[in-house]
Order: sequence, then C-alpha cells, then structure tokens
Amino acid sequence: MSSPTSATAVMVPRRRRRARRLRAALPFLGPALVAYVVFVLYPMVESIRLSFFEWSGFVGAEQTFVGMRNYVRLFTQDTVFWTALGNSVIWVALSLAVPMLLSLAFAVALDRKLPGRALFRTVFYVPGVLATIAVANIWRWIYNPRYGVSESLAQTLGLEWLQGIQWLGDADIALYAIFGAFVWQAVGTNMVLFLAGLQSVPPELKEAAALDGAGAWQRFRNVTLPSLRPTMVVVVVLTFIGSIKVFDLIVGMTGGGPAQQTQVLALWSYQLSFANNQYGMGNAVATVLLILVIAVVVPYMLWTARREQS
Amino acid sequence: MRRTTSKTLAISVSAAALLAATLTACGSGGSTDEGVTLTYWRLAETNEATGAAFEQIVADFEADHPDIQIQVEERSTDGHKEALRTALGTSGAPDIYWSWAGPGIGGEFVNNGGSLDLTEYYEEYDWESRFNDVSMASITQYGGYHGIPSGFSGAGIYYNKDLFAQAGIAEPPTTYEELVAAADKLSAAGIDAIEFGGTVNWHLMRLLDNILETQCGSEVFDALVRNEASWGSETCVDDSFAEFATWTQEYLIPDWASLDDAQANQLLFSGQAAMVIEGSWFPQVIQNNDADPDAFGVFPFPTGTNRLYGDTSNNYVSPTTEHPDEAAMFLDHLTSTESQTALTEASGARSVNVDVVSDGASRSSLDAAWDEIFDESEGLYAFNDQNLPLAQTTEYWRILNAVASGDIAPDEAGSQFQAFIDQQS
Repeated sequence: MSSPTSATAVMVPRRRRRARRLRAALPFLGPALVAYVVFVLYPMVESIRLSFFEWSGFVGAEQTFVGMRNYVRLFTQDTVFWTALGNSVIWVALSLAVPMLLSLAFAVALDRKLPGRALFRTVFYVPGVLATIAVANIWRWIYNPRYGVSESLAQTLGLEWLQGIQWLGDADIALYAIFGAFVWQAVGTNMVLFLAGLQSVPPELKEAAALDGAGAWQRFRNVTLPSLRPTMVVVVVLTFIGSIKVFDLIVGMTGGGPAQQTQVLALWSYQLSFANNQYGMGNAVATVLLILVIAVVVPYMLWTARREQS
Repeated sequence: MRRTTSKTLAISVSAAALLAATLTACGSGGSTDEGVTLTYWRLAETNEATGAAFEQIVADFEADHPDIQIQVEERSTDGHKEALRTALGTSGAPDIYWSWAGPGIGGEFVNNGGSLDLTEYYEEYDWESRFNDVSMASITQYGGYHGIPSGFSGAGIYYNKDLFAQAGIAEPPTTYEELVAAADKLSAAGIDAIEFGGTVNWHLMRLLDNILETQCGSEVFDALVRNEASWGSETCVDDSFAEFATWTQEYLIPDWASLDDAQANQLLFSGQAAMVIEGSWFPQVIQNNDADPDAFGVFPFPTGTNRLYGDTSNNYVSPTTEHPDEAAMFLDHLTSTESQTALTEASGARSVNVDVVSDGASRSSLDAAWDEIFDESEGLYAFNDQNLPLAQTTEYWRILNAVASGDIAPDEAGSQFQAFIDQQS
C-alpha cells in the first residue's frame, strides 16, 4: 500500500505523461478537429441560430430576430409541417420493421451453404450501391401508369385490380409506393451487416444447443439473436437516422407531391429554405429533426450500453 | 522526440494548408494570367439549331476577345431555379444568369440583391433603343436597370387537328363557352380533352391561371396576384376553382398526377390527348419529338380579356461578379442585331431586338399563328409562379393540386389560400 504522498508523486508524472501524449496527438487530431468544427459543428449551431431569425438566404439580406415565431408558425399555421412529420414517423416505423426483418431473413438464409449463395448475396446487395436518384428513376418508370412494368405485369397476368393504379399520383398510396423502392434499395445493405454479425456467432454454441435438443427456431431465438445484438444496435441506429432524414428518394419520385402528401421533414426543410427562401422556417424544421434524432438515438444507445454492461 | 514532433507538426500544417487551398478553390468565374472566365448559367437548350447558333455566338465573342472565356452551364427548368436560389448572393454565383423576369422569380432575385444595376452600361451601349417596350418594362419594373432582355413568350392552347376533326370541332374556340363545348365533344368521342403533367406543379397551374383570368377579368386578376384583393371574398375565385375542378375531373387525362410535363406532352404528340397549354417555344419541342408541327394548331385561351398569357425573360449580371465590364461586353454581343438574327433564324421565335427581322425561312405555320396572336393581344398576364412570391407559389400549387385530386372543395380553396397569405404578412 502506498502513502498519499507517494500517490501524489505517481499522479504528477501520470498527468505529465497525459499532457505529453495530448501534445503529440494534437497535430494528428487537429486537422480532423478543425474539419469537424467547420463542417459539422458550426453548420449545426448556425442552423439552430437561424431558426430564430427571418432571413431570405441572400448574403446581403438582413437577418431579423423573431424569437420563437418560426416555431409557432410551424406548429400552428404551416399547412404542410404536420403532414411531413406524420409521414416521417410512418417512414421510420416502417423502415425499422420491414427492411430490417427482410434483411435479417435474407442474411440467415444466405448464411447457410446454398448453391449460388454468392450470386444471391450479390443480387440482393446491388441495389444498395446504386445512387438513390437512379433508384428513384428506375421506380418511377416501374410505376408509370401507361408504360410501366407494374402496369404491363398487371395486364399480362390479367390482374384487373392492379391495373390503372396511380402509384405515385394517388395521395393515399404514393408514400407506400415510394417506400417499396426504399425497401428494394435498403435490404441488401442491412443484409450484409447482419451477415457480418452472423459470422461472430460461435458455432460451438449452436452445436451445443442442437445437442441439447433445441430446434431451429429455439437456436435462432436463444443463440443467434442474442449474439446479433451489437449488430442489431448498429442496424437500428443507422436505419433510424437514415430513414428520418429520407430526402432524395422522395425528391426523385414525387418531389413531395401530389399536393404535398408525400412530404417529409428533411425535404420540407430544404424546400422552405431553398424553394421558398424562408431560411428561418427551414432551419426550424431542421432543428425539430435534430431534436427528434437526438431524443431517440441517444437514449437508445445508452439503454443498449447499459444492457451490454449488465 | 523533438524531430518526431516537428514532423507531425509539418504534416498537420500541410493538411491545414491543403484544406484551406481546397476551400479557396471553391468559387466560380475568376481571372488568371491567361485572361478572364465568365460563368453563364442558362436553361438547357431544347432545340438543336438554336443550341448550335448560340454556341457560334459564344465562339465568335471568344474569337473577338481572346482574353475572355465564356463558361456556359445549362440546367432543366426546376434545376435552374434551384441552382440560382442556392447560389445567388454567394461566392458561388455565376457572373451572368438567365431568369424569368416576373416578380415571383426574377423580382425575388433583384429585391434580394441578386442582380447588378446595369444603368451605366445601358448608357454606355445605348441598349434602351435596342429592345421592344414589353422587354424594357421588365428591365425597369423594380427600379434601375436590372438585366438585359433575353426573350418574351406567349402561351396558348395547342391542339391536335385530327382529334378536333374526329370530335366534330370545325374551328378553334373563340369563347370560353365554346372551349368547354369543345372539351365536351372530345370527351363524348372518347378522347382525353387536355393533358398536363402534375409532378411539375407549374404545368397544371397554367389551366387555373387562365380560368382565373377568364372568370375574374384582368383587373381583379391583377389585384389578386398583387395581394390587393382577397382570394377569400372574390366570388370569381370560387367560380374559377369550381371550373378548374370540373376540368380536372372531366376533361383532364386521368393519370395527370403521375406524369411530368414531358411525359404528358407525349400524349399530345401521339394523338392520345387533344390539347395542352404551352408557350410560343413549343413548335421547337414538337419538332424535337419527331412530330409534325402542321398536325397541330394553336389559339389563345379564350379569356375574353384579349391579354396575352406569357412571360418575359432576361439575362442578369450577378453583383458578386469581379468582371462586370466583360459581362456587359458579352451581353452586348449576345443581344446585337447580328447575334439575335442568327438565333431568330435558328429558332423561329421573336427577338427582343427591334431591328431583327426574320426572313421566315425557318418559321413553321405555328410560328406564323403566334405572330397573329402577339399582334392582336393587348397587355400581358404572367404565369402565376412568376407573379406570386415563392412561398405563396408553393401554397398555390398545393391547393390547386388538392382541388384537382378532390382533397379540397373548390369553395374552400380561395379562403385557404387567402389565410396563408394573411399568415405570411
């Protein structure tokens, strides 16, 4: 056991060592830190600041402080905001359910030794590497009510109930039609993450469970799924963040129409700022989006970290 | 250890310098030892002959001024609008840009300091005497001299002659009642009377704009778009939305909400729809789509006010340009009688330069029809996305789309729009 004096004596060199390490690391961290502050932190803070101002976005134009007025207008008068918020919530909920379950199912299926496994993995993954705007174009043509694949298929198969559907023109179904394209694009990427996670499941655990008489479902539920928890956290967080800021697919397929019925928060923020030149309102929407992301992602990550520790 | 620290310091300083250099390089235009580069943003050219004529004009200018390069960037309609709204007022703005001149687009740019006042160049080059009155009015409407005229267009109803004949319509309608009767006849013959692409909101907007002018008359129409009359209390607004709803539900192609303007126009070219409202530039579009211009006719929307529905467009100089003199030199060359004659002969469209006379060689029967429409019209009412401020335009589009799809009752549309205007103010 060391005395307090000797402990202090140890602490001082340790502090010095830390300071010296920091000095050595700083030149390496510096450029990244500068880039982070300039390109991430500053725009974020600036965006929040602008949400309390009225500004047309032109450099020479005056920025007028309006306090909470942009938020009041957003929540009480904006004719599109609540539609956009509702659509964003629907989009996130569907994204956390449909593509995640599908990609997990594909990953489990393609983790087995199947003929053509590599081909299937590639086929499912390819849509994920396409530019989203290209995906939007592909699906716009698929959904074209006169010349699209959907209409041709419906006619060829004689499915009258599927004929003449305005996939992107009917406000009641347009959002879900766009979501179909999103699923097509997103499943492959999540599948690859799950496949990577499945490689970390110890085979001896599965074998032991099988020897103990556990069926396929029990092995999946009690062995595979718990082992996939770290991957699941990553996929859930990435899916949540990616889905709440969905933008380019909507722009490419409907532009938020018809009559703003497929509008989402990220796109509405952009359109208020860049199409309407209402940067204060646009940044207020962006701030709401930021708060939503922080409010969900941070507690979820803390909760998972605590579960991991316990 | 000291040597290592020095090395890391050198690396980090280099990285920072690289970062700074990259940031500095982000910008448009500029000058080098070899000369000046002017950036010029414009709409993508849809006509091959006009595009070639424009390229020759630029090449001629660069040959006459070896120290000046013109870097042209072209975009689609919506892409161009967005690019300008994003870049103007910043260091990324072009030196020269083309834009529609109405208050809702060009006016926003001018009023927000996105345009250089060219008064001194108007005096230096004596530009005022070069252009027609309509074009000059668009230059001086915001005070000073903002921009230099580029074009002026009318918009009317193009129709498929064969489909009109099939439906038993002998002559183009001259009154609104005759137009509705023609639409009825077309529908009765199993023909989609009119087409618009709904995914670009401004296409279908043209129908409502014209119905408003018809139902309200020119004075009330102007008062409405200037926010001097209430959309909520003028009965003609309710009548207009009711008429508009009838058109969209009975005469419009059923899949309007799923198509853009280009896709919808294919239905006109292929004989699947009978009418559309398009501009005096449309004969070129018909030719570009390998359709026969003689198979189509054009007549003004029979509003009864005798005003021409259309717009003016100008080339503006950005106030952030470092080369206003060179920009003025180029604009002088672009609008000169020689350059404008070449453009007019290629496009068939009317020039803003009063000294340009077309020899008629490249003009189609539709261009000749437009000459008559221009000559017989008195005054202009502009597209409403150019009349209304940007935020109001977005709401106007939302409401008209919702009326067209039956989500807003026609008698509620005007008051909803007025409520939005009141909130904005």
